[in-house]
Amino acid sequence: MLGGVYANAEALAAVLADAASRDADAIFCLGDLGGFGPHPDRVFPLLRDHDVRVVRGNYDEAVAAAAADCNCGYTDPRDNYYARISYAYTVAHTSAANRAWLATLPGHRRVRLGAHRVLMCHGSPRRINEFLWESTTPDGFLRRLLAEHEADVLRCTHTGIKWRRVLDGGAGHAVNVGVVGRPENDGTPRVWYTMLTAEPELDVQFVPVAYDHEVTARAIEAEGLPSEFAETLRTGWWTTCLENLPSRERARGRF
Amino acid sequence: MSAVAHAPFVALSSLWLVLTGTLCNLRCTHCLNASGPDEPWLAPLDDAAARRAIAEAERLGVREIYLTGGEPFLHREILPLLERCLVVASTTVLTNGTVMTEALADALAALARASRWSLEIRVSLDAADAEANDRVRGAGTWQRAVKTIQALDARGLLPIVTATDITGEPDTYERFRALLSGLGIAKPRVKILPMFPVGRAAAADGRLSEGDLDGFDRTTLQCAETRAITADGVYACPILAGLPEARLSDGDLGAALRPAPLYHAACVTCHRTGATCRNA
Repeated sequence: MLGGVYANAEALAAVLADAASRDADAIFCLGDLGGFGPHPDRVFPLLRDHDVRVVRGNYDEAVAAAAADCNCGYTDPRDNYYARISYAYTVAHTSAANRAWLATLPGHRRVRLGAHRVLMCHGSPRRINEFLWESTTPDGFLRRLLAEHEADVLRCTHTGIKWRRVLDGGAGHAVNVGVVGRPENDGTPRVWYTMLTAEPELDVQFVPVAYDHEVTARAIEAEGLPSEFAETLRTGWWTTCLENLPSRERARGRF
Repeated sequence: MSAVAHAPFVALSSLWLVLTGTLCNLRCTHCLNASGPDEPWLAPLDDAAARRAIAEAERLGVREIYLTGGEPFLHREILPLLERCLVVASTTVLTNGTVMTEALADALAALARASRWSLEIRVSLDAADAEANDRVRGAGTWQRAVKTIQALDARGLLPIVTATDITGEPDTYERFRALLSGLGIAKPRVKILPMFPVGRAAAADGRLSEGDLDGFDRTTLQCAETRAITADGVYACPILAGLPEARLSDGDLGAALRPAPLYHAACVTCHRTGATCRNA
C-alpha cells in the first residue's frame, strides 16, 4: 500500500519495483497522484502497467474537477501560497484523459484480508482531506471511526508521515501508510510504503525505498516550480506545508 | 421573522472547556467573550464538572480537547486537568501568555513529554509590534507574551501565536512570521482568526437564513462537531459560550448533542470565512 505519489514518477517506479521483488499480491494507492512534483502525467502509465488499484485523494478530486484549489485543508497563508503554485501547475500539466480517469476513482476501497475487514481511504473514512496524524488521532477516536465505518483495519495517507496503531489486543488496527512522493521529514531522502500481510495474524511492515531523487529535484527546478520542493527531496526536510503538523511531529523536523 | 437555521450535530470531535469562564487578568478592548479581572459574568468551571465532561467526551471518541477562558492558567487545577486531558487526546491551551512562569513552563514540558498526544499552547497577541498590541491588551502585555513564547520554544513546545485580524491588513500574517523569526524561533507557527462580532466587538445585526445556507455543507461548520463546556451549561462553540440562545443543555454533554441554532452574527462570520477555532 502506498500513498501520496505527488507526481514523483522516479520514486513511484522504485517503489513498484521493490514491491514486485517482494511478490506483493496486490498494490493499492491511497491517492494524491499530483502535487509538488514535475510532469504529473508520467505517473499514470506506471500505475496502469502495475495494475495499481487507486483510491481518490483530495488532490485527484480537485484536479479531476479543475476545482479552484487542491482542498488540502491548509489554513496557513504560507502553505496556501505554495499549494496554489503546485496545484495550478498540476492542473495545467495533467491531460484531459488522465483527469477524466481521476474522476472515476473510488473514494474508498474495501477488501477482506483473512478475517479482517480492511477499509482504505485517503484522509479519513469520513473526510477526504482530514489529517490523521499519530499524535492527534487518539485511540477512542479511531475506535469510533472503525465502528462507524464497519471496519477492523483502517488504511489512510494524506499526512505524509507513516504510523500504525493496534487497538484492544488486535481487535482494531489503523495504519497511515505514508507517502512515496516525498520524504517524511526525517532528514533522509528515502520514501516509504507499507506491506500488509495476514497469515493469519495481521502484520504491517514499513518499507523504506531509496531512489534517484536528484532526477526529480532537477526536473522540479527545470519546470520552474519552487526550489523549496526540490530542496525537500534532496534533504529529507519539509520546507512547505508545515503548519498543519502537530507539535509532536513538527518538533522532529528541521523547519 | 423566519425560523432560525440550524447546523446538524455530526459527532463530538472537539471538546472545549471554558475553564476560567470569563475570568482573566487582562481587559482587552475587543475580547471575544468580554473577559476581565472583575467578577466574571461566566463563572469558572469546577474540577468535577470538567472531569465529567472529559470522561463523557472520551466515551464518545473525542478527537481533541481545548482549554480556554478567560485566562485558563488562572485556574487552580489546570495542571492536573491538563494531565487528565492528555490521557484522552491531543490538548490545546489558549493563553494570553502573561501569567507564565519558568516553573509552569517546565511543568507543561513535562506533561508534553509524558503524553502520547500533542500538547499545543496557543499564545494570543493582537499585533506583531508592542505598541499596537498593548493598545488593545494593556501596557506590558506584548513583552510578557513574547517572553512566554520564548520560554515555551526553548522547551520544545512550539507555541502557536494566535492573532485576531483586527486591522484587516494583508500583511498581518507576514508581520507575525517576521516577529517570530526575529526572536530566533526556528519553527514559527501563526494562526490568524477573523474578527468575530461578539463580546466587546458585538454587532447587533446579521443572521444566517436558510437561503444563505442553500447548497452549503453545514457539516463543515465547527458547531457540527464541537461542544463547549462552561459552568452554566453546554454550548455549540467556544465563540458563543455563555450566551443564552446558544445554550444546548444545562450541563449534560449528552443532552447537548443535537442541532445548534445559527442565530448569531458570529455564525455569519464562520459561514463566510470558513473560520475554525481549532488549531488547523
